[in-house]
Amino acid sequence: MSGKSMELQSTASMEMETRTSTSDYTNPCPICLGPINQSSYLDKCFHNFCYNCIVQWTKVVSGKRSCTLSSIKCPLCKTESSSIIHGLDGHNFQRHYVNPDFQDSFILSKAHRYRLQCYYTEPGFLNDIFDVQRYWKLQKYLQANQWLEVWLKRELQALIQEEDVDIIMHHFLGLINSFFRRNEPEYQTETPELKRKRFSQTILDAAKPFLSARADRFILELELFLASGLNIEAYDSVYLQRLGWNKPIVPSVANEEDLGLKSVTPYLYIFDCDPDDGD
Amino acid sequence: MQASRARLFKEYKEVQREKVADPDIQLVCDDSNIFKWTALIKGPSETPFEGGVFQLAFAVPEQYPLQPPQVRFLTKIFHPNVHFKTGEICLDILKNAWSPAWTLQSVCRAIIALMAHPEPDSPLNCDSGNLLRSGDARGYQSMARMYTRLAAMPKKG
Repeated sequence: MSGKSMELQSTASMEMETRTSTSDYTNPCPICLGPINQSSYLDKCFHNFCYNCIVQWTKVVSGKRSCTLSSIKCPLCKTESSSIIHGLDGHNFQRHYVNPDFQDSFILSKAHRYRLQCYYTEPGFLNDIFDVQRYWKLQKYLQANQWLEVWLKRELQALIQEEDVDIIMHHFLGLINSFFRRNEPEYQTETPELKRKRFSQTILDAAKPFLSARADRFILELELFLASGLNIEAYDSVYLQRLGWNKPIVPSVANEEDLGLKSVTPYLYIFDCDPDDGD
Repeated sequence: MQASRARLFKEYKEVQREKVADPDIQLVCDDSNIFKWTALIKGPSETPFEGGVFQLAFAVPEQYPLQPPQVRFLTKIFHPNVHFKTGEICLDILKNAWSPAWTLQSVCRAIIALMAHPEPDSPLNCDSGNLLRSGDARGYQSMARMYTRLAAMPKKG
């Protein structure tokens, strides 16, 4: 009996092997007909191409048009896609937009860029201004932070580089609020340090799948924002000053055009009156 | 240039491998130039082209497959979408509807489909198109059959 099942197993595994080895051969890139190099997918139909092949084809198609293309027809099924997904490693992927301005118009807005920039500074960059330990010691978290939702949304948009982060944002928001609201007896005697540690671990577990390598820093930034007790505008101005990005904020009429453009993204009002357009 | 050569070589190998798979199409690459191909296609059955064998000439551009190949009939054919003198073919996939997923083999298949389903509203051969547009299917078919017999069938005796 056992011998037979062994035999079955080995043939099954052999089948698996041949299948994987022929998959390159039976599923070549439809453009070069060779094995797929730097696997990429169109974002609607998920047809698979070499990265270079599909990018080149996108260039050819957009070269024929006088106006900028925002989407590309799949060479196989003609479904319109607006981006090419590539660099998949099981955790992260990259997106190549057919319209290169598209990415800038939303994701790399100035507010998001500044937030990303914060992740390249040393941790503890603002610890002399905002006292995170004091926040935990004095149980300041008992007072709900009304700006947290807006802050979280922008932060996640910058880190994930997606416009629609509402689901993830509400997931975190619920997690944070329920953590602070929970008041079981076993937690009441907890030291502030322990509570802080438990908080970090809870959020870290939730953040890892979405933010991977940036999850640790995300928690520090989250604590920092909570500890500041400031609204977003005030918080940003402190941060920007430290980053050296800041220029005196003078509302000017010349930016009216920007206002119109940026009104698409609801959380950019902070920068609407920032005349820092030179760079 | 290198990419088009590599891709044409893949197509060449595929053609060799599947020679028997499609008996209606015989694709041959020029001995000395991989950018020049000819094809022999059988006229589809139940059309006036049935029984004929038509020769196509392919000129493949260096940007292939980002640019479509240029294809024309070498064999004379009476069809609304084929120029009677030059053999030029009016087919969207050879122009603005081209996709790099097409191959020379699948282009041949598209041309066979065009032979069976003419588009009289965008004619390169106005006489042929007008016959169909005026509803004279019999006139179109007998003209097309005559030219098939004259040009696309082996001469008897």
